[in-house]
Amino acid sequence: MRDTFVKTLLKEAKKDPNIILMTGDLGFGVLDEFQKELPAQFINSGVNEQTMMGLAGGYASTGKRVFVYSIGNFPTLRCLEQIRNDVCLMNNSVVVVSVGAGYAYGSQGYTHHALEDIAVLRALPNMDVIVPADPHETIGITQLLTTTKNPSYLRLGKSNEPLIHDKEVSITPGKINEITSGADGTIIFSGSVGVIALEAAKELESQAISVSVASMPFVSRIDLDYLKESAKRGPIIIVEEHSYRGGVGSAVLETLSMQGITAQVALVASAQTNLSQIGDQDFLRNENGINVFSIVSKFKALLAG
Amino acid sequence: MEKIHSPFSNAAELALAARHEIIKMTSVAKASHVASALSVVDILSTLYAGSADISSSKLDDPTRDIVILSKGHSASALYSVLALQGFFPIEWLADYCKNDAPLGGHVTSKGVPGVELSTGSLGHGLPYGLGIAMSRKKSGVSGRVFVVLSDGECDEGTIWESAMIANHHGLDNLVVIVDRNKIQSLTFTEDTLKLEPFADKWKAFGWETEEIPGHDYQALQKSLATQSAPKCIIADTTKGKGVDFMENSVLWHYKSPSTDDVTKAFEQLSENY
Repeated sequence: MRDTFVKTLLKEAKKDPNIILMTGDLGFGVLDEFQKELPAQFINSGVNEQTMMGLAGGYASTGKRVFVYSIGNFPTLRCLEQIRNDVCLMNNSVVVVSVGAGYAYGSQGYTHHALEDIAVLRALPNMDVIVPADPHETIGITQLLTTTKNPSYLRLGKSNEPLIHDKEVSITPGKINEITSGADGTIIFSGSVGVIALEAAKELESQAISVSVASMPFVSRIDLDYLKESAKRGPIIIVEEHSYRGGVGSAVLETLSMQGITAQVALVASAQTNLSQIGDQDFLRNENGINVFSIVSKFKALLAG
Repeated sequence: MEKIHSPFSNAAELALAARHEIIKMTSVAKASHVASALSVVDILSTLYAGSADISSSKLDDPTRDIVILSKGHSASALYSVLALQGFFPIEWLADYCKNDAPLGGHVTSKGVPGVELSTGSLGHGLPYGLGIAMSRKKSGVSGRVFVVLSDGECDEGTIWESAMIANHHGLDNLVVIVDRNKIQSLTFTEDTLKLEPFADKWKAFGWETEEIPGHDYQALQKSLATQSAPKCIIADTTKGKGVDFMENSVLWHYKSPSTDDVTKAFEQLSENY
């Protein structure tokens, strides 16, 4: 996903000199081509996320679109107040880009796990939180972000994520992208956990239960029409690689509540049972309850009413 | 009809008028930080009376100079100077901190012409100004960026990160002016977290550094006039300058002047200026 992002950004930045890529000294082997081809549009500020984010706000105030790239918690939690004051309050044209969503840096340990970032960033006013499902969505979303000007948060996976869409998808801001349709309920996911959602749908299908599976990249702009349809269809499971507290599931539940929509909803997210547990992404997802079993059992429990 | 004040071209006259406004508005609003404002007002007056290339008619000029007051608690000083220089109606000062008024207790930029950045949390103004200076430098756009810091603010790591970055990128369009009044929130800077040898620190970070008397308009003008690298001007100031009972006192970091205090302070201003 990160390679797709950088390639797409480079293509757009060649056409638009106002696009700037800033990094806090991360992206070895990933940002090299951008730096080589567009040195005037590339800045490595060093290891200083708080200053880098304030710098990005000031830079953007001169009419630039600044993409600030780093790993998981570094361009998000580490410099939260700079995002809040110098980007969101000033409504500056900055895109915070994190790589390593959820457990993507699994064996690197908890410091490198991004599990609270959606909750924290979506609480900020003016911030548009976006979580692509796969490289196909990443292309459209990156292109979109080069044309918009509002503060945004792009939460990327890492590398070699499986394709969830079979081809490039057209991205409409605020819209959910349905992948398969079914009659008995819906699994909505954000990010590369879509692969687990699709597996769970297959498992349910083998038990004669047919569900729709849909990617929800726009976390700050909820697709109300799709949610209303889903609520009528049957149970809704929301799957995300993030803490239960304040993530995509919370965003959906808030909206349902505020809109007075009655729905049967269950969340599949990280239980964060053991912060120090070591393991790869698949292992940690499974250990923390982000797995086919959770989705299937929660869906069936709701279906049984 | 709201009145737009005719700008001063003389820093001393601007600063004296601003001192009156600062004392009035912090009294009426029952606001804190009057002494911080009196400390920095000569620096701001010098910048807005000609040392910075900025005026209300130039706000849309992308090559004009930029002034950022990073010590956002001195808002009353910036607002007074901007109002007196005609950036917005002088009447706004009377509504400082009132419900739904444009001017908040810490520097607010939204809807306030001339204010570049909302500040109040320390250590934000320099990275932000650094971003503007770097963008201009990389794009070949002229115009300098002046960032006014408090000395206590230099406890923040972002100040020193910014100092490294500005030097690394050769930002000879960036000027820091430190309001070195030697007092911070709870006590003296040197009793809180030692800044000294302060000038040597900036020099070691590669900045052209000058220590000057911070209430001396000519010294400020001279120091602000030239630079060949990122420049740090350490302006030796007195907190509460111009009103003896407010000078060098931590109390006046917080206390709001009573009506009596205002009368006494105005008498002092007539004697001292």
